[in-house]
Amino acid sequence: MPPEDHDHFEDHLAAALRHTGGAFEADRHTLVTGGEAHGRRIRRRRAAVAGCAAGVALVGLGAALLPASAGGEQRSVAAPPVTPSLSPSQRPVVTGDDLVRTLKKLLPGGRFSHEEGRGTNSPMPLAQVVYDDGKGEAAVAVSLDRVAPGSQRAAQATECPDKVYVPYDACTRSTLSDGSRLMIMQGYEYPDRRVDTKMWTADLVTRSGQHISVQEWNAAAEKDAPITRDRPPLSPARLKALAGAREWRAAVDAIPVDPFAAVVEPAGTPVASGRPVSGTLVSLLPKGLRVASKSAADPGFGYLVLDDSRGASLVQVNVQKPVPGVKGGASVPATRTLPDGTTVDMRQSDGDKGVEGTVVRTVDVRRPDGSRVVISAFNSGTQHTSPTRPLPPLTMRQLEAIATSPKWRPVG
Amino acid sequence: MRQSRTEGYPEFAAARAGHLYRSACLLTGGDTHLAEDLVQEALGRVYLRWGRISRLDNPAGYVQTVLTRTFLAHQRRHSSRRERATDVLPELPAPDPAGDTPLRLTLLEALGRLSAKDRAVVVLRYWEDRSIEETAAALNTSSAAVRTRCVRALARLRLFLGDTVGEYAAP
Repeated sequence: MPPEDHDHFEDHLAAALRHTGGAFEADRHTLVTGGEAHGRRIRRRRAAVAGCAAGVALVGLGAALLPASAGGEQRSVAAPPVTPSLSPSQRPVVTGDDLVRTLKKLLPGGRFSHEEGRGTNSPMPLAQVVYDDGKGEAAVAVSLDRVAPGSQRAAQATECPDKVYVPYDACTRSTLSDGSRLMIMQGYEYPDRRVDTKMWTADLVTRSGQHISVQEWNAAAEKDAPITRDRPPLSPARLKALAGAREWRAAVDAIPVDPFAAVVEPAGTPVASGRPVSGTLVSLLPKGLRVASKSAADPGFGYLVLDDSRGASLVQVNVQKPVPGVKGGASVPATRTLPDGTTVDMRQSDGDKGVEGTVVRTVDVRRPDGSRVVISAFNSGTQHTSPTRPLPPLTMRQLEAIATSPKWRPVG
Repeated sequence: MRQSRTEGYPEFAAARAGHLYRSACLLTGGDTHLAEDLVQEALGRVYLRWGRISRLDNPAGYVQTVLTRTFLAHQRRHSSRRERATDVLPELPAPDPAGDTPLRLTLLEALGRLSAKDRAVVVLRYWEDRSIEETAAALNTSSAAVRTRCVRALARLRLFLGDTVGEYAAP
């Protein structure tokens, strides 16, 4: 991967994926024979409709893989024009060129180049241009999506990200007069700001789940593109106007059937759904520590930023409920084992973000039933900023007392 | 004629099946049954056009792209009926008492909390080690869209996994 994308977390994630993915054992014979049988079935079906074969002959595999609608039909650009009576799944494709034209029409006057569009029959419909309002080239992109109204994903799309993990200069949320939710963030391309390219975004989700996402940069945003201007070209007010343009909503409606943005719930089972992990953590803290901020309710994971007047400290906890059929136990050597078989691993590291002077104390408690609590305390207020103090305010012993508390036990 | 059109296919499929299956398991957040179906569908599509695909520079990369798109198409077909309309949890993967460890489930759980498209980006970028541009090509989208998704997906994974992801890197 390119050097500018390099990050310790990314290294660890790649290693984690190799570790996890590599553990799945395939029945190759079944896969190979099943694949061939599947291919033959498709061929037989095509043969059965040979009369139409010339019309539906695949033009490269890309065409074969264009997503089909639930009913199996595929709309083409030759479909009849939109009429109000058509349901979303019956509407014709809005092409990438259409989307680019719309974007250019909605932007203030300027020069355009590097136009790129993907229509509503692609997995990720979008329009992108490099736009120059006279003050320097900047990439501007609009991507379209549909989310399930009222879903967690719909809510997350317009929630300001947690500043502990994603730095930004400003983020505002608002509700428009038609009930749409809007989030405008003035942030950066890279969370650790290893390159100071600014990325400003607007995310709008309508009450019916149309999701319009606008991104703009102060660079042409091609790979390794240098910064061309102090800030992206569109002000927050203009971002709002662009995201709110009715033209995008019609295009979202043309996305056949349903979004890829499935509200896929966790494959595992988080601890006591909805129970605020950060709240439990607060209740277990030693006295004298002030909580400067804490995470929103997110089952299974939470954090606090503590301040004892000697410097901020991020403390995060990951709680995992037992999974039926899964045997508990340590996959790394445990520091010690409690009488009931619970293993407790304690370690001190320099973090994974490459920030000089970072000290992270971690206690990892695994119970025989498969449940697990991992708590880490940093000597800094976020994972990506410089230390505020020589050591975290919580000792290993205090962290162990928190992690082994019965309060983490699942409630059933 | 038919023989020549499939010449080399069985060897290719046998060589790639294991990796494809593992990719599919990550894409599906650990749903091994769905992963098997997706691999068979992807291989089936490649089988049909093996004559042309076999002449590509990188048929292995190609079939991986087919798998990713097959996954996204599947998510699209099934998202409304399963998650949206009925608002019920998708089928959970069957636990594997012999193989699963709490660590693995933590990562799979985190992957499962990402949207399908974000998962596809993460798997292509960090499991397949594809560049932003290659990932964009595989998903038929722009580099900027992939970058944005990647940044957001990583932020969410950081939130879910916290510092613990580093443990996977241990030998």
